[in-house]
Amino acid sequence: MATSKPANDVATYAASVRSALASLPDAERASLLEDLENHLAEVAGESDLSLEERLGKPEDYAAELRSAYGSGSSTLKVKRRWQIRERSWGLVKMAFGTQVYRELRALLPELLPGWWVLRAYLIVLVLAFMSRGDSNLRPIPNPFSSGGLLQILATLVAIVISVRLGRRGMPVNRGWRGAVLAVNVGIVVLALPVLVSMGTGATSYSYAGTSDPYFSAVSAGYYPGLTNIYPYSKDGKALKDVLLYDQNGRPLTAASGDVVTDVPTGADGLPIPNAYPLNQRDANGLPVLPPRVALPPWQTSAPAASPIATPSP
Amino acid sequence: MQPSNGDPIDTSQLLKGVLDLAVLAVLADHDSYGYDVLRRLRESGLDGVGDASVYGTLRRLYQAGSLKSYVVPSDEGPHRKYYGLNDRGRNALDQSTKTWGSFTKALDYLLNGRSSANGN
Repeated sequence: MATSKPANDVATYAASVRSALASLPDAERASLLEDLENHLAEVAGESDLSLEERLGKPEDYAAELRSAYGSGSSTLKVKRRWQIRERSWGLVKMAFGTQVYRELRALLPELLPGWWVLRAYLIVLVLAFMSRGDSNLRPIPNPFSSGGLLQILATLVAIVISVRLGRRGMPVNRGWRGAVLAVNVGIVVLALPVLVSMGTGATSYSYAGTSDPYFSAVSAGYYPGLTNIYPYSKDGKALKDVLLYDQNGRPLTAASGDVVTDVPTGADGLPIPNAYPLNQRDANGLPVLPPRVALPPWQTSAPAASPIATPSP
Repeated sequence: MQPSNGDPIDTSQLLKGVLDLAVLAVLADHDSYGYDVLRRLRESGLDGVGDASVYGTLRRLYQAGSLKSYVVPSDEGPHRKYYGLNDRGRNALDQSTKTWGSFTKALDYLLNGRSSANGN
């Protein structure tokens, strides 16, 4: 009888503790409570007092157990916790670093194709500038200007090549990588002055007609595509050096197109741009031949052929 | 557990911080079972130590690999689970002893400095 009572006491007390710790993970609880009954029996054996009188409520006992088992109070653990804190701080810093880095890296590939297209255009621009020494470059190749079509074609081809090269990615070799970078930077350096001159470069076109009568009428704007005029007399003879003027009395000039025009000079030393047909040579230096024309048939004998109107007196 | 008269030091909190060290120290002497560890801690003056705290600490140290454990059958009572230090436990005890030494040194220095300043 003397032994059964504490045994009961131990069993009920232990059961209460176990149920109070029901929220612990199974493995942890099993490990913590593995020896609980034996331990409580040991405690109970020391005294006639009940376990609750000696150890307090099972719930409090369970709470104390839990905090002693779960909270790391050893300096060893504290140290380890410090290490973890340091390490996690390092990780946070690293994550922050890579976060910014990643955002930049994510942005670059999206911008790259744009650069591939732009650099192709810039290359063509620089080449056009160098080959012609022309300050009249237009921001966008104009198909109606001399060499405009060629520029557009060259730009398209350059874009295709540039994008293809770009999509291949950077070379693995460091030296090549540096070379590629240098080429790209070089394109920018070369293109910048061209771009700047494009905006400010003096154009020979002037639309104001007052000061210089010979250049007042601007060709390109007036008759796009019109590069020459071939006047014929009524009897089909090709005329030479016919001076043409528009309704305002301004010399009529044609667009220069793909050909080079030899403008005659007057006695006063000024060019005469409106003497047609213009004397032109093509890109190969050969003279531009006049087109074949179908001359309209004129009525030759005016009075006889005229069926109309015999005025009746 | 009762709030002491104006003493801001909560001994139970202090004990929490050093219970591992105390338990390791007790076991460094010789292997022991739960209730015996509690008794020896109380005998040495740590009478505020709770039974559950000691039991939980023993289980945790064992789980962490700082203690070895074996069961000793007993004729007149329940089997006793004995705990003892292994290499890891001894290392932990050495380290904790150093930490504790520098800690108390620092506190002693502070307290002595204050008392000597009061004395002047």
